[in-house]
Amino acid sequence: MSLASFSWSRNETLWTRWCRHADADPEREAIAFVRAGEPTERWRWGELVQRARLYAGWLQAAGVATGDTCAIISRHHKEFFPVYMAISALVAIPAVLAYPNARLHPDKFRAGLVGMARHSGLNWILCESELTPTIAPLTQAAGSTVRGLLAPYEARLDHELTHAPQVSADAPGLLQHSSGTTGLQKAVVLSHRAILEHVSRYGRAIAANEQDRIVSWLPLYHDMGLIAAFQLPLALGIPTVQLDPFEWITAPILLPEALSAERGTLSWLPNFAYALMGARLREDELEGLSLAHLRMLINCSEPVRAEAHDALLQRLAPLGLRSTALAASYAMAEATFAVTQTPPGQRSKELTVSRDALTQGKVVIDPGSAPTRICVSSGVAIDGCEVRVVDAAGDALPEREVGELAIRSLSMFDGYRNRQDLTAEVVRDGWYYTGDYGFRHGDEWFVVGRKKDLIIVAGKNLYPEDIENEIATVDGAIPGRVVAFGRYDAETGTEHVCAVAETSVPEPAQQALRERIVAAVQRIDVTLSELHLVPPRWLIKSSSGKPSRSANRDRLLASAADKD
Amino acid sequence: MISDRLKSVLLRELNLRDFDFQDATLAPQVPGWDSLRHISVVAAVEKEFDVRFKSLEVIKLKNIGDLQALVDRKLAAK
Repeated sequence: MSLASFSWSRNETLWTRWCRHADADPEREAIAFVRAGEPTERWRWGELVQRARLYAGWLQAAGVATGDTCAIISRHHKEFFPVYMAISALVAIPAVLAYPNARLHPDKFRAGLVGMARHSGLNWILCESELTPTIAPLTQAAGSTVRGLLAPYEARLDHELTHAPQVSADAPGLLQHSSGTTGLQKAVVLSHRAILEHVSRYGRAIAANEQDRIVSWLPLYHDMGLIAAFQLPLALGIPTVQLDPFEWITAPILLPEALSAERGTLSWLPNFAYALMGARLREDELEGLSLAHLRMLINCSEPVRAEAHDALLQRLAPLGLRSTALAASYAMAEATFAVTQTPPGQRSKELTVSRDALTQGKVVIDPGSAPTRICVSSGVAIDGCEVRVVDAAGDALPEREVGELAIRSLSMFDGYRNRQDLTAEVVRDGWYYTGDYGFRHGDEWFVVGRKKDLIIVAGKNLYPEDIENEIATVDGAIPGRVVAFGRYDAETGTEHVCAVAETSVPEPAQQALRERIVAAVQRIDVTLSELHLVPPRWLIKSSSGKPSRSANRDRLLASAADKD
Repeated sequence: MISDRLKSVLLRELNLRDFDFQDATLAPQVPGWDSLRHISVVAAVEKEFDVRFKSLEVIKLKNIGDLQALVDRKLAAK
């Protein structure tokens, strides 16, 4: 049965929507919780909502009130889901933050949280108790908005929320961070209406139906995991199977295993996951698995590469993966999630275009003997979203000309929270200027590059400023004379981080300097894959007088090409 | 105790000149050994010792000492 008729009342909030599912069919499966080597645990709608009511009663008694922003910092945990929903029940604002891994220095983690608390206005932090000593000083800091630290997984749940607060669907429904690591985070707040509007329209774009089962290892602090694999299925009443992101990256076979065991029909992945699984899944591990039910595998959050699709298809076709399941989407937190989507039942289109013409902003298809590049379509605009390609002056460009992608959507964000300055830089006359370059061919949209300097590693957005600032603190690197940028690596299917730093340190001492820089960047949980130490005044400056990332990246690439 | 052979394959795979691997060393403490790189490091170890790890065995590794112990168990079972 199709969910195309999915309807929601204009006054509905996420919580009332979830309660409707629980009332309609309390035994229907809502969430399957998977942990490697253990039996899968399942939340049915009735018990999930009941558990959320208990957490909501506990949170309310702890002082959490309507409108408060509640950050959750948690590893993969079965209780995460009702805790998240409980915040929604109180019409407070849940915000999932990344759990710090062992690479991230506690001071850097705290600095990131301070930045988030200040910019995003966090009121409560819900976390596992072992993080408490690290986070506690935050709540005592002068001017902190954080009122308390709560450990819900250890709570004694003895009374439930009886009356959920009533608010308009225009009230904030969630907060998510679009990128950043240590203080440059941009917080996007979305209303209940925007989220429900979006998942309703996006659900139609992927022909979501009652036979669907979503399988995901995606982290829930990322919009792809949070909206596509969590909010969408919960709102539509489709079961979602949740794997641990850390377990999956350690053992990628867990995804095909779960897709097979759970008869998964839909899954979203960043491009690197295609390359990783294409290269690393072993035939003996795949024996006996079936992907016959998988109807869409949606590539999103990183530039989509044809060779990554090919690699995965070659590896998984024997399991029944169909070529027509290889879809793509262009999405961003600022638009809630998806802007474009490959229609169901067709493989994302590929165009072979002239590489040289593309650098001149023109799309020349099938150019013959000239060097070419395969561009993969991110699909067509979903209902409620408009896309256009504009030049530097903001004027619309015709089909097959490359420019910046601007979007307008019914489920657009209202601006970065507490950052009107940053909002004004990207939103003009109701259009969000994405900072991505792309073109239109027919009604299909292609993303081919980036105007902004953001680095995307395995779907994670990094600001070069964060990396440059860390390197600048290292003794031997000349402050202000360093650039960081991303370079696509075909082997891993994602970008890797490169840096160029000026130094006066003599050659024999440079190895030690290299090690200090790599270690410094590691403290903010970033792996520096390439480091070039250069003499003073080597870096090309931009008109602002600062070293130019793009000019220096081009200089390095040109010099590498010369050596080849 | 980390064997010279294991140390050597880790250094080679991670492009490191040297590193003081101890039993309690965690992968994230080693330069370049991030989650994205983990699977290729494990594959390099499997290749070096001509052994195969099960996914659950890899997931349960907590530190380099566990990796050494797993290699030793696999070699003993050969």
